[in-house]
Amino acid sequence: MASKASSNRFQFGRSIGRLPTRHVLIYLVLILGALIAMFPFFWMISTSLMSLGEAQGTRLLPTALHFENYANAWQEARFSLYIWNSVRITVITLAGELLFSVLAAYAFARIQFPGRDLIFALLLSTLMIPAMVTIIPNFLTVTWLGRIGPIKWINNWPALTVPFMGSIFSIFLLRQFFTQIPDELFDSAQIDGAGHLRFLWSVVLPLSKAPFMVIVVLSFIGAWNALAWPLLVTNSPDWRPVSVGLYSFIDEAGQMINLMMAGAFIVIIPILVLYFFTQKQFTESISRSGLKG
Amino acid sequence: MKHQENRSRPASLPDKQPPDASRLAAWLTPRRRRQWREYLTGYAMIAPAVLLIFVFGIFPVGFALYVSLHKWRLKRGDIIGLANYTDAIGPVAYLLVFGLGVGLLVWGILKIARLRTDSKRGGWPFLALNAPAILLAGAGLAFVRWTIVLLPHVLDIADKIRGVERTRALFIQLLGEAFSMEAVLAARVTMLWLILGAALAAALTLLRWPSPRTLQRQAELAVNWFLIGVAAILLGYVYGEMMAAYDLAVQSGEDPGFLAQFISIASGLILLFIGWKLWRRAEDQPSTPLFFLRLGAATLFIVGGWIMIGELPVVVAAGDPDLWVGLRATLFYALGTIPFQLGISIFLAVLLFQNLRGSQMFRVMFFMPYVTPVVASAAVFRQLFSNRQQAPVNAAMKALGLEPLQWLWEPKGVFQVMALKLGLENWPDWAAGPSLALAVIMTFSIWVFVGYNTVIYLAGLGNIPKDLGDAAEVDGASRWQVFRHITFPLLSPTTYFLTLISVIGTFKAFNHIWVMRLDAALGTTDTFSVVIFTEFFEKLRYGYASAMAFILFAIILALTLVNNKIQGARVFYG
Repeated sequence: MASKASSNRFQFGRSIGRLPTRHVLIYLVLILGALIAMFPFFWMISTSLMSLGEAQGTRLLPTALHFENYANAWQEARFSLYIWNSVRITVITLAGELLFSVLAAYAFARIQFPGRDLIFALLLSTLMIPAMVTIIPNFLTVTWLGRIGPIKWINNWPALTVPFMGSIFSIFLLRQFFTQIPDELFDSAQIDGAGHLRFLWSVVLPLSKAPFMVIVVLSFIGAWNALAWPLLVTNSPDWRPVSVGLYSFIDEAGQMINLMMAGAFIVIIPILVLYFFTQKQFTESISRSGLKG
Repeated sequence: MKHQENRSRPASLPDKQPPDASRLAAWLTPRRRRQWREYLTGYAMIAPAVLLIFVFGIFPVGFALYVSLHKWRLKRGDIIGLANYTDAIGPVAYLLVFGLGVGLLVWGILKIARLRTDSKRGGWPFLALNAPAILLAGAGLAFVRWTIVLLPHVLDIADKIRGVERTRALFIQLLGEAFSMEAVLAARVTMLWLILGAALAAALTLLRWPSPRTLQRQAELAVNWFLIGVAAILLGYVYGEMMAAYDLAVQSGEDPGFLAQFISIASGLILLFIGWKLWRRAEDQPSTPLFFLRLGAATLFIVGGWIMIGELPVVVAAGDPDLWVGLRATLFYALGTIPFQLGISIFLAVLLFQNLRGSQMFRVMFFMPYVTPVVASAAVFRQLFSNRQQAPVNAAMKALGLEPLQWLWEPKGVFQVMALKLGLENWPDWAAGPSLALAVIMTFSIWVFVGYNTVIYLAGLGNIPKDLGDAAEVDGASRWQVFRHITFPLLSPTTYFLTLISVIGTFKAFNHIWVMRLDAALGTTDTFSVVIFTEFFEKLRYGYASAMAFILFAIILALTLVNNKIQGARVFYG
């Protein structure tokens, strides 16, 4: 071997990589992994189309497609309301979160003021605090606010949205992005007589579609997964988001596995649609955050 | 004289107003004005977000601490000190508070000593600056006291306002009443005097030594004096509680043995700490005999420390069994998921990185479990691993000739279940492992997170320079050798990041466990977060749940500290 010219040996090593048997092995492993990853989805969809008897048996595929399960689940659990609730919770939260985060991130990135880094470090340190520490006092605060103020907080949008409008994660993400915008842009805008807000509105925001997309996607996922907090602050379906709705439906459906699976699939569809359409940003957003529990 | 001093002060310290408008105008040069406008813009822009994060992210920590010191079942009851903590982890709570007090005391004193040596070298007045610093620290403590006295009255407004028509005027009136309660007023007077004194002293020192460094050093000293003050309060509290318990025990003729226990364990821990320090410094010794002397002393301290804390398990066992079950479940969960997740995903990532045809499609499929809303996928797993004979997994078991199992309904340990199947009747309890139900939940967790970890590993693989592996292959390294000696070490930052995220995720894990936990599993599936939530949500013990949450917080903080110590040595940032 040692006597061979190194270029030869290199090609030899490369040609091994093209041998089909290795590819076949790799494909076998990948397919096995995909089967394991996909089986629960397959079983869910398949069972959701079975009759009750089939669903409780050992069949893998339905004999006839019972699409009426979806209609029944839809009626029994008011999924339309739950999905609408989750959507409006997300939209209200996003509106506040984006507004406040953009302003704060811009100030942290581009304005000099005393105590800036200290305040930012203090805000970042809140990421360390486990949710279980803050959930109890926040529940008390929210109840208190609802009792003294003009609007109801519990069972209403404020309790579900306002606590999430101040998001250090979004501020951090946007700040990272804003610091990369070259200073020359700001200098020339200042010469043209634009202040901070004007510069932010007409130069920075049009450039920031990518981080906005990340925040939007993460908010949607967050809203679709939220369980503990909505369990606490909603006690009627009026503002109940999908996760809580599905959770209570699981208990109500009991042995009606086919309806349960239909409900689960209904809840998954919006997120899957979002995933398949914005696949690249979606994967990137989640990978960058590492925050989903 | 005073006004001249004022003008000579730098722009960043404008806390004293010149007496008349013309002086103000003279002081506000256009440049200063622009700078101040810039500052104010900055503060105004961060204000809403900072306010929200403060109210729902920072204030709750103090509030939770406040709640945890009360008997608080749905409604606020009496202050009961550390009783919630001792209910949870036994008298160790006192030990921890004692340790915290000692730690803060040592930290504060060391910092102040360091500042003192710095003052000798830098030639700045140490003693003179300490006066305003101590006053400022006192003002800080007085402010904390004032908030604590005020808080219950503000909280009570909600009860007073019930049933009455809610108007702005009424709320303002009630708020005013809360602020002017007798105790609140008394606390406020102390606070105001201390603030006034601190401001005066600070102004005097600033006049004498006008420099921004003066202010900064004062602030630094004040922070450390504040910590020392907190430490004194904590230690005083523990001492008082111990003495009270001792007196009680003497009066009722019981054996006051716990005091000896406490002293023994506390000094044991201190010995362990000293031993550890000596051990670490031993290498720095100039000569061999000294090195061995240090090592010997360290060993002595450590052995002595171990013997003295020998009673710790007995003391700890006095706590809440639910909490220990929760901790055990969390530990099993972490050990049973993280290595598998990382191992499987690094394997899949390396395979996907070959960029064969269709890799993208596999990536999408592997990632799907992670994208799916957890409640939905957990509902599916609850049916797959149901205890029904016809449930998919049990049907598969039957097809393989195995007996069906109870799965999520099974509180018995995994190894115990296996041993029973193999005919070993008296399998020891300590080797039972996580319950079968918890094992199913762990399987779910692996199923969900493998896709996520794979994507992160793929990103990590993309960052490794390609020529490194090629060069090694040229030198005749096998694929496995390239992976073992090049790829894997270069991936260590990614592995480190994923481990960290997963450990944090373990402590946060809630949604899927909440969906899959069944009464039949007898709480063996409840990790720490779930235990806290049940105490809060189902048993309505707010004070106790808050105390538990703080114990969780302490564990996470301790893990973070340990992790930061280890990280530097192990991770290779190529």
